[in-house]
Amino acid sequence: MNILEIQDLTKKFDDFIAVDDMSLAIAEGEIFGFLGSNGAGKSTTINMITGLLRKNKGSIMILGKETSKDSEFVKRHIGLIPQEIAIYEDLTAYENVKFFAGLYGLRGGELHDRTVEALEFVGLTEKQKSYPKTFSGGMKRRLNIACAIAHQPKLIIMDEPTVGIDPQSRKYILQSVHKLNEMGCTIIYTSHYMEEVEEICSRIAIIDHGKIIAEGTKEQLKSLITDSKLIFIEVKSQEAIDVDTIYKIQGVTDVKVDENTVQIHTELGVNNLNQIIDYFIRNQLEIRSLDEKEPNLETVFLTLTGRNLRDS
Amino acid sequence: MERWAILNKLILIFFMGLTLIYQETIGLSWAVLLLLLYLCINICLHLSSRQVLVTLFLLFSMTLSIMGNVHVSALFILLLPLSVVELLDKWKTRTILSFILAIVPVFYVQQEIRAIYVLIAIYTFFTYTMGKFFHEKLVKKEEQLDAMRIMQQKLMKQINENDAYMKQSAYMFKLEERNRISQEIHDDIGHAITGALIQMEAAKRLMRGDQEKAEQLLQNAIGITQDGIESIRLTLKNLKPSIEQVGINRLKLYIDEFQARHDKRTMLTYRGNMDRITHMQWKIIQENVTEALTNSLKYAEASTLIAVDVNVLNKLIRIVVKDNGKGAAKIEKGLGIIGMEERTATLDGKIIIDGNDGFSVTTLLPIQQDEGKS
Repeated sequence: MNILEIQDLTKKFDDFIAVDDMSLAIAEGEIFGFLGSNGAGKSTTINMITGLLRKNKGSIMILGKETSKDSEFVKRHIGLIPQEIAIYEDLTAYENVKFFAGLYGLRGGELHDRTVEALEFVGLTEKQKSYPKTFSGGMKRRLNIACAIAHQPKLIIMDEPTVGIDPQSRKYILQSVHKLNEMGCTIIYTSHYMEEVEEICSRIAIIDHGKIIAEGTKEQLKSLITDSKLIFIEVKSQEAIDVDTIYKIQGVTDVKVDENTVQIHTELGVNNLNQIIDYFIRNQLEIRSLDEKEPNLETVFLTLTGRNLRDS
Repeated sequence: MERWAILNKLILIFFMGLTLIYQETIGLSWAVLLLLLYLCINICLHLSSRQVLVTLFLLFSMTLSIMGNVHVSALFILLLPLSVVELLDKWKTRTILSFILAIVPVFYVQQEIRAIYVLIAIYTFFTYTMGKFFHEKLVKKEEQLDAMRIMQQKLMKQINENDAYMKQSAYMFKLEERNRISQEIHDDIGHAITGALIQMEAAKRLMRGDQEKAEQLLQNAIGITQDGIESIRLTLKNLKPSIEQVGINRLKLYIDEFQARHDKRTMLTYRGNMDRITHMQWKIIQENVTEALTNSLKYAEASTLIAVDVNVLNKLIRIVVKDNGKGAAKIEKGLGIIGMEERTATLDGKIIIDGNDGFSVTTLLPIQQDEGKS
């Protein structure tokens, strides 16, 4: 079943079209990535999904219900981790989580239990009595996550959760995304860090100028551009290389020898590096360096839009 | 919608008439007069369409029912609620308010018909609002239906146009093919046969005198004829001109023409296997490029260079038209851009418009699996 279905969604700010006739469906259990440069329309889309912004056109259905009609039902099943940290500096970590969980209608013993669970999940149990003033950026982010998940939502939306934090917290957050997903949550993850999206997302939509220009698993996205990767092998001397033998290795589609570098095109998804190296060793060709060039999401984005992800 | 209000009134009048007859009230003639007056006013009311007149008629009908109530029979007040509801609906007040206002006169009504007044008020209110509700729904549905019909017509038109285009391009292909064959017959085979003929003529004359020379000439003629046969074979083998040739050549031609006509340097580059682009895709590419070039010409002030790039990737075709003009911070979607979007969407493609660094229009088209067939 689709947890989220967007149809012809459009949002205009005066003349500026932030989201342009977007349609999208996300199935339950996915980790879905929104990939796009700054200002592509990711946050605007999310704000419309969560009901923070009114849409101009289209429909958004969560668990089969239209968000603008059943907003209370919808909000109960969504957890939003916003881009800007939204916690109260003069409440303790525990009080912060309890406050936000309370907003979703949790009361009494249940409220306490869920608060403790959420704090434990983000690894802040020991810090629960401290004030966020004393927290590092990463800890604040984690507390922010705890506030959004205490009411056990089915759909968790993370809007650039790793902006400006230390590598350790970043790792922690990425791990917790996996954990939440294993616990049955569907996750929408937006980022302009290509590596993160590539690492954790099961399906990805590339968004540019308010439109989804491509969508699919990372393999599908890469295969839009090319089905092969390049292996560069630099050898001491190219004289003894027999191109035809390399051709016979499974997956190899093209071989070029240029000075002392052998350029091998090979199909993506065929693991033949061992056989290739084996050929060089058997023929006593000394390998000086080996480099592999596989298309990544950055290349896909660059090829489709003509711009780098980090450019804005 | 008005039909229901009229029917409502008829039922009310019928009910009052019956009650009046059975009650055998004294002022029966007056009652009949008032009822007829009421009928006249309400007929006028439904006939006129001007807001002021309608309001006046409604107010008049309201006074009539109040007067009737005071002077002739208490029953006349039963006509009031409907007029109130109608009037407030004309003024577009909220329904709940019109309900309250329709029910309020109950406090001024003679005691013996209070209960019946409340019943009538509720009854008229409900029938009227429900009538309105369903009428509005109906209107909305009809609008939707109309919009869909228009859409359908548009799509049908597009299908027909595309059909015509396909037929035309098939015809164009044939024509181009015929030209090519006649050209080749003229250039290669014609020349070859003429050459062979001349040599054979010469050999015939030399046969007696210089047999050796004649033999040489004949050998030449044989060689030329063999070449001719070979070139016939080649011409026939090459029979099918690739879509690629026609498509990219047409685009090239257009861009050369554009460059010559306007003082802009325009470059066309292409990469990848052009063979994978279908007729329909070429049509859209051609149209989008034309549109984007016109846009660049119109809006990109101070641009000196326009680059057109066609790139066939693994599962996508990407066409970029980019100028080095001033670009646009805000992109207004004019008819041109919407047209490109709609065209491209017919083949499941996407358009990206970017005005940050110069102005660029990118068309992305998925490569169709049954390539070359359409």
